[in-house]
Amino acid sequence: MLTAVKNQIRVCLLSVKYNIMREMLNKVTFLTNIGFMMLNNAAFIIQWIILLHIRKEVGGYAMRDVMLLWGLAASCFGLSHIFFARAFSLPELIINGKLDSWLVQPKNVLFSVITSSTDTSAIGDFLYGILLICIFCFSFGRLLLFLFFTVTGAMILTAYAILLGSLSFWFVRADIFGNNMVNSMISFATYPDGIFKGTARLLLYYVIPVGIEIYLPVQIMRSFDVIGLLFVTGYAVLLFAAATAFFYRGLKRYTSSNLMAARM
Amino acid sequence: MKAIEVEGLSKTFRVKQKERGMGGSIRAIFHPRTEEIRAVDSVSFHVEEGEILAFIGPNGAGKSTTIKMLTGILCPDSGSARVLGIDPSKKRKQLAYEIGTVFGQKEQLWTHLTPNDNFRFFGAIYDMSDAETDRRIGELADIFDLGAFINTPVRSLSLGQRIRCEFAASLIHSPKVLFLDEPTIGLDPVVKENVRSLIKTMNRQLHTTVFLTSHDIGDIEKLCRRIIIVNNGRIVMDDSMEHVKYHYLNQKTVEVRLHGEMSLPPMQGITILKEKEGHIRFEVDTAVMKISDALRSLNLENMEDINISNIPLENIITAIYQTEGKEAAS
Repeated sequence: MLTAVKNQIRVCLLSVKYNIMREMLNKVTFLTNIGFMMLNNAAFIIQWIILLHIRKEVGGYAMRDVMLLWGLAASCFGLSHIFFARAFSLPELIINGKLDSWLVQPKNVLFSVITSSTDTSAIGDFLYGILLICIFCFSFGRLLLFLFFTVTGAMILTAYAILLGSLSFWFVRADIFGNNMVNSMISFATYPDGIFKGTARLLLYYVIPVGIEIYLPVQIMRSFDVIGLLFVTGYAVLLFAAATAFFYRGLKRYTSSNLMAARM
Repeated sequence: MKAIEVEGLSKTFRVKQKERGMGGSIRAIFHPRTEEIRAVDSVSFHVEEGEILAFIGPNGAGKSTTIKMLTGILCPDSGSARVLGIDPSKKRKQLAYEIGTVFGQKEQLWTHLTPNDNFRFFGAIYDMSDAETDRRIGELADIFDLGAFINTPVRSLSLGQRIRCEFAASLIHSPKVLFLDEPTIGLDPVVKENVRSLIKTMNRQLHTTVFLTSHDIGDIEKLCRRIIIVNNGRIVMDDSMEHVKYHYLNQKTVEVRLHGEMSLPPMQGITILKEKEGHIRFEVDTAVMKISDALRSLNLENMEDINISNIPLENIITAIYQTEGKEAAS
C-alpha cells in the first residue's frame, strides 16, 4: 500500500516536472507569463489602497488583513493550478471521451489526469501570495500557517473543481454550471467576508466553500485557533475524499470516444 | 492456454435524439428522447497465448467498444471478459501491468521530451526501477532500431520513427497481450510495412499475444492467422485466415489479351468485368465452372497474354460484411 502511494506520488511529480519543462521550452514566454501575472495581481492592490485610504476598514478588514486575504487567495489558486490544472478542464475530457490513455495505466486515474497539465502563470500567482505576506505581515509563525493554509486551500479549490467537473458524467452541459461555480469561488476569495451577510454568507460557507478555503484561515492567521485549524484540515481532507469518490462513481458511466487526438 | 476469454459480452449506449432545427432543440428540452444503441451484442470468443488475431468489421460494428471493454476503459453491461485470467472491469490496474495498448488515433508520447525520457516516464508508471527501465530501453532500442534518434525530442522525429517509439513505449513493461486499435491508420505504405514487421518481430521474439483491429486488409493478410469479423455488434465469422481464403476464394479473376477482336459468350459461372479491343477481364466461379472450361470458350490461338488471380481479400471481406451483416441484423 505504502509502495503504491510512493509510486503514485513519483509519477505525479514526474508529470508536473515534465509539464514545467515543456513550459520552459520558450524561456521568454515562461518568464513573462509569471512576471505579468504578478503585475496583474498587483494592479488590484491599488484599488484597495485607495479604498482603505477613504475608509479605515472594509468588512472588518484593515490593509494588512486584505493583503493576507489576497495573498492566500493568490497562493491557493497558484498551487492548485501548478499541480492540478487539469482538474479545471475535467468536463472537456469527460464530454469528449479523452480519459482513455489514463485508464489503461496502472495508476490512480484521477491523480494522473489532474497532474497532467500545468498553468505557467499560476507560478506567478503562487509567488505573488508569498511576496505579499513577506512584505505586509511577515512573521515566521504566520508564514508557516500561510503555507499550510495554501495547501488546504488548494485542496479545497481542486476538490470543488473535481466535484463540479464530475457532474459531466451525468449531465451534458454541466460544464457551464461547474465553471461558473468554480469561477465564483475564485472571485469571492478576494473580498472580505465581513461585507457578506445572511444568505450570501451561508452560501459562501456551505455551497461555495470559499469560507473554509480562505475566510476561516485568514481569521486563524489573525488570531490563532487550534480548533479552527483542525476543522479546516479535516474539511479539506474530507472534501477531497468525497470528490475522488464522486469522480470514480461517475467514471463507471464514462463512454469514451474515437476522436483523433495527440498528447499536447 | 487462453490469453483472452470473452463470454456473452454486451454493451449498450444511450444516445440523445433531437429533431432538426431550433424547434427540435426546444422540444428536446421538454420531451427528451433517447435511443439505445447496442454496440456489442452477446459476443463470445477466445484468443490463445501467442496468437495474432484480427478483429475486424465496418465502422460502428463494435470493434473499439470491445477492445475498450477488454482493456478496462469501459464497463460491460452484461457478460464476462477475462484477459490473462483478470476481469478488466474489476481489476483494471492489475490488468494494466500485463497489457499494452496502441491506439492509432491517439498519441501517448510527450512531444517535447526525447524517446529516452518518455520511456523513463512510462517505466515509472509501471513501477519499474531506473536500472530495470535502462535495461529495457536498451532491449527495445535494439529491436526497434531506435539508437539513432533516442535522444532527439519526439516532435522532431519523422512519423515512422515516432510510431516505432509509440510501440516501444507500449512495450516498456513487457506486456503479455498487446491491443492494437488501427495501428497503421494514416501511415504511408513504407511506414505501414515497418509497423507490420515490428508486430511480427514482437510476436516471434517476445511471444506477445496480439489483438488487432484494422480497416487495412494488408495488416490482416500479412499478420494474422485467425480472423473474427463483427457487424452490428455481433460476431458474423470466426475462422482461420486459410479457411476464409479457401472458402471464399472460389472466384478467380482472368485477364486475357487477344490478337484481334473477340467476345466471350454469356455462360453460367462467368461474369464479364471488362471487354474492350481484345482485352477481356472476367470472373469465374470455380464452383460452377472449371477455369479450363472457361478458357476453352475463347480462341486461345489468338492469345497474347493471360493472368489468373484470386480476387482480393478486400473484396471477400466486403462481401462478408454485406451478406453476413444483413443476416446478423435480421
